[in-house]
Amino acid sequence: MKTNLRKTLAVLAAMTFAVQSWAAETVKVGILHSLSGTMAISETSLKDVLLFTFDEINKAGGVAGKMIEPVIVDPASNWPLFAEKAEELLVKDKVAVVFGCWTSVSRKSVLPVFERNNGLLFYPVQYEGEELSKNIFYTAEAVNQQAIPAVDYMLAEGKKKFYLLGSDYVYPRTTNKILKQYLKSKGIPDSDILEEYTPFGHTDYQTIVAKAKAFAAGGKATIISTLNGDTNVPFFKEFANAGLTSENCPVVSFSISEDEFRGLPAKALVGHLGCWTYFMSIKSPENTKFVGDFLKWVKAPTVAGVDYKVSGVDSKGRVTCSPMNLSRMGVYLWKQAVEKAGSFQVDKVRTALIGQKFKGPAGEVTMQSNHHLVNNAFIGETLANGQFKIIKTMNNVAGEPFSEKFLGKK
Amino acid sequence: MPLLNHSTNRTTSDGQTEHLQPVTPPSSSRQGGTHSSSTQLLDCPSSSATFQCAVIFQADSLNRKFPLHGVFATILLLLTLLTATAATQTHRSTLAEAILTDDETKQIELVRSLVAAGDDAHVVHALGAWRQGGVFLHETNDTRTPFLLDAQTDGEGRARGIRIADSVPLADASGKPLLFAATDLTAADTSSKLRKSIKTVLDLFAIANPDPKMRRDAVVKLGQEQNQEYLQHFEVRLKSETDPEVLKGLHEAVALTQIGSDDAAVRVASIQKLADLRSISSLNFLQELEKNAKADPAKYGEETLKAAHSAVIQIQDYVKLGNLFGTAFRGLSLAAVLLVAALGLAITFGLMGVINMAHGEIIMVGAYMAYVTQNFFKSWFGASGFGFDSYFIAALVVSFFVASGVGLILERGVIRFLYKRPLESLLATWGVSLLLQQLFRHIFGAANVQVSSPGWLSGSLVVSDVLFAYNRIFVIGFAVSIVFGTYLLLTRTSLGLQIRAVMQNRAMASCVGVRTDRVNMLTFAFGSGLAGMAGACLSQIGNVGPSLGQNYIVDCFMIVVLGGVGNLVGTVSASIGVGVTDQILQPWLGAVMGKITVLGAIILFLQWRPAGLFVTRSRSLEG
Repeated sequence: MKTNLRKTLAVLAAMTFAVQSWAAETVKVGILHSLSGTMAISETSLKDVLLFTFDEINKAGGVAGKMIEPVIVDPASNWPLFAEKAEELLVKDKVAVVFGCWTSVSRKSVLPVFERNNGLLFYPVQYEGEELSKNIFYTAEAVNQQAIPAVDYMLAEGKKKFYLLGSDYVYPRTTNKILKQYLKSKGIPDSDILEEYTPFGHTDYQTIVAKAKAFAAGGKATIISTLNGDTNVPFFKEFANAGLTSENCPVVSFSISEDEFRGLPAKALVGHLGCWTYFMSIKSPENTKFVGDFLKWVKAPTVAGVDYKVSGVDSKGRVTCSPMNLSRMGVYLWKQAVEKAGSFQVDKVRTALIGQKFKGPAGEVTMQSNHHLVNNAFIGETLANGQFKIIKTMNNVAGEPFSEKFLGKK
Repeated sequence: MPLLNHSTNRTTSDGQTEHLQPVTPPSSSRQGGTHSSSTQLLDCPSSSATFQCAVIFQADSLNRKFPLHGVFATILLLLTLLTATAATQTHRSTLAEAILTDDETKQIELVRSLVAAGDDAHVVHALGAWRQGGVFLHETNDTRTPFLLDAQTDGEGRARGIRIADSVPLADASGKPLLFAATDLTAADTSSKLRKSIKTVLDLFAIANPDPKMRRDAVVKLGQEQNQEYLQHFEVRLKSETDPEVLKGLHEAVALTQIGSDDAAVRVASIQKLADLRSISSLNFLQELEKNAKADPAKYGEETLKAAHSAVIQIQDYVKLGNLFGTAFRGLSLAAVLLVAALGLAITFGLMGVINMAHGEIIMVGAYMAYVTQNFFKSWFGASGFGFDSYFIAALVVSFFVASGVGLILERGVIRFLYKRPLESLLATWGVSLLLQQLFRHIFGAANVQVSSPGWLSGSLVVSDVLFAYNRIFVIGFAVSIVFGTYLLLTRTSLGLQIRAVMQNRAMASCVGVRTDRVNMLTFAFGSGLAGMAGACLSQIGNVGPSLGQNYIVDCFMIVVLGGVGNLVGTVSASIGVGVTDQILQPWLGAVMGKITVLGAIILFLQWRPAGLFVTRSRSLEG
């Protein structure tokens, strides 16, 4: 009996070992993007590009020899649910890293979860700054990598009046607060800065456009728009009907990228400007490869190396945009850091991430000790086909989350 | 010298420019006298070739009559012609030189000297292309040649490169034209300062543009620069301009430029002129002037200050008056949108008492039908023109019938079992609304679809600087006509009579032989049809997506309840009240606070009058 038991134990131990060694060949990585609800339109593209990147990395041998195994949860555009799902990823699934969040409110909601469980989150969408968590890496554009360069550009173009128009939530309000201070420091008087917010889903832009028209009557005016999502359609329709054009009153939008153009009438936006750290139209071998491979991948999406079935990928009219590029670069930066640290442990990876460089489609980026990237910023003019023509490039802009640092206070 | 006369008139007969640009460019230091004498004859080479033939032919015929004279004339003509072509050539090489120069100041100077080249289409085109990054450099050994791409491309998207310096295609050693793909090329650099001066030169060209709108835009823009050098260009154009809008723009531009004049009399006169023109675009400049004049009376003088002050007040009054009309119109148009959206609900909820939570989704069905109709018309008639533009009329009809069909199914399938149980009908229709949303998300995708406005619904009518957007005018007209139509249906048809009878007392109506079941069905279908038309209408104003209905449902219920359930007059008054109040409050309180204030006011009002503006008494409602 005794030997029998011993044998059984030995077999059991062998089996456990076998299971463990099989499991050791993959590493779980979480994706925390809304796949339903209002944000699904934007966030689904990020899920797609992340899976594409995992596939790319797995095909090239994985991360430190381990295949990435995606764990996808759907927080359904519901902010408290983001926190629950993040907890689930960290505690139940024990993922090594999470890529996710789009809106600032969702990031704020998961932040305590990541700090409590010492998780690691990569955040890829332009945001208002004034935040720095040791558990979050912001590949996203900080205000001084998007809003400030855009305003600088308009000032250089001789614009003297600024209409700050945005949707009513934290990102536009904080960004505009910073921009107002910045404009004042550049000698623009209060009377030449208008600030206005509209609710989500607002459709009646008559008064705002009439105001903008009066504001722009004397020339030299520009609209800095942080309007989100589909409210841009009624706004730009009204704008065009009022006889305003990009010639007499250009609009710089911070929330419209190539991906948003899939649901917007690009025709109405021709000539207006965007500012991002990546455009699909960038000419570089890295970008040609990224765009080409991604468009090929969406037709037959798989993640190589792991037993995972990809579903829900739309292959029609796909494009790439800045948040997508930043998501992908986040994965590569993490991979390099893991390989440098020789471990998946969050503390070791965090240290290794600082100073990590990656040559992406829009040029080389470097992760700074403030968890933000040094990245190139571009100003682009909207074309009728929903692409941007790059009209200005600013190289190596160091992301800085705290406005008091780049506004030169304190 | 009749022949020479003929030659100077050449440009006029060309049809492109009636008037010649003033001769001296602003900074003509490097161009000198040849330039001034030759600009008159500028033309592009291709037409100068035909011109040459014509000249020779004419000279020939003259020769027979007056041999000596003729020879002399011919020689003279050819000489002028040569200088003309030379000037054209100079402009083109100046431009090429500017592109190749590294020094920004020099570049700007060269570009500004091109101001006289307005009738050389090649220079105009190349300048525009340069500004927008369409000029490239071809580098061979040590030479760099600026060129732009031909509009025609081959199958692989490659085009010939046209040299800036002489408008001739680039060719390799064997004379075969070189082909370039736009994606492989890097554009010649421009700084923002340089782009601005290119734009100014292009605007100066545009003063003579055949399109009056372009002319006006250019004139307004140049006027705002208050550059004394442009005055001569305005004066020249003033003499030949016929379009009233452009004329007004020119007068404004001249006056606006002259308020910067050093001569006090000119200044005061131009200020007065701007006040008379009610020039809103000059308001900022006048205010600035008033401020300066106040700060430095010695420099500007009493007269200027007084004139500026009264001009500012006059224009401000004019703006206020315009705002009043503008606000009234915007209020009415918002009211019309609310009314159009809520009228269907006023029938189904107001008259029939069905709490129809799927009302918004029926609006959505209508909006999607507009999209479908648009796509059919696009495939039949192409994406523009009269055929396509008429799609919207068809869309209204299609939306009405499809939506009333959906309403009919909804009534037969769900609602008719729940007439006596309003709370269950609330839940059931809410469920239906979710189903419909998901169904449309499944068919058309989660993203919004794009419904383009037909030509006659884009743009706006401008009456004394007040904007009346065509799509808004249409919605107001549409609201009036459907309300009128509904009124006629309810009061002048037997169906209307039956509807009112059933609404007032179902049992009694049934007793006298009205088939209440059938009337219910038709009423609900009619209300749904109205909602469908509303959807088609709203597709011209906002987004069309699966969640479209959600954006309107609350507003619709609010309007119907505020107006008094069961009363069409109430619905109309409520929508006008809410629309106008919202637009009056918005400029002061902003969009968010404005809306909150309106909602707060409605809550208070309903506390005071729970039954709404107009109270209808009927058995069905009390029961």
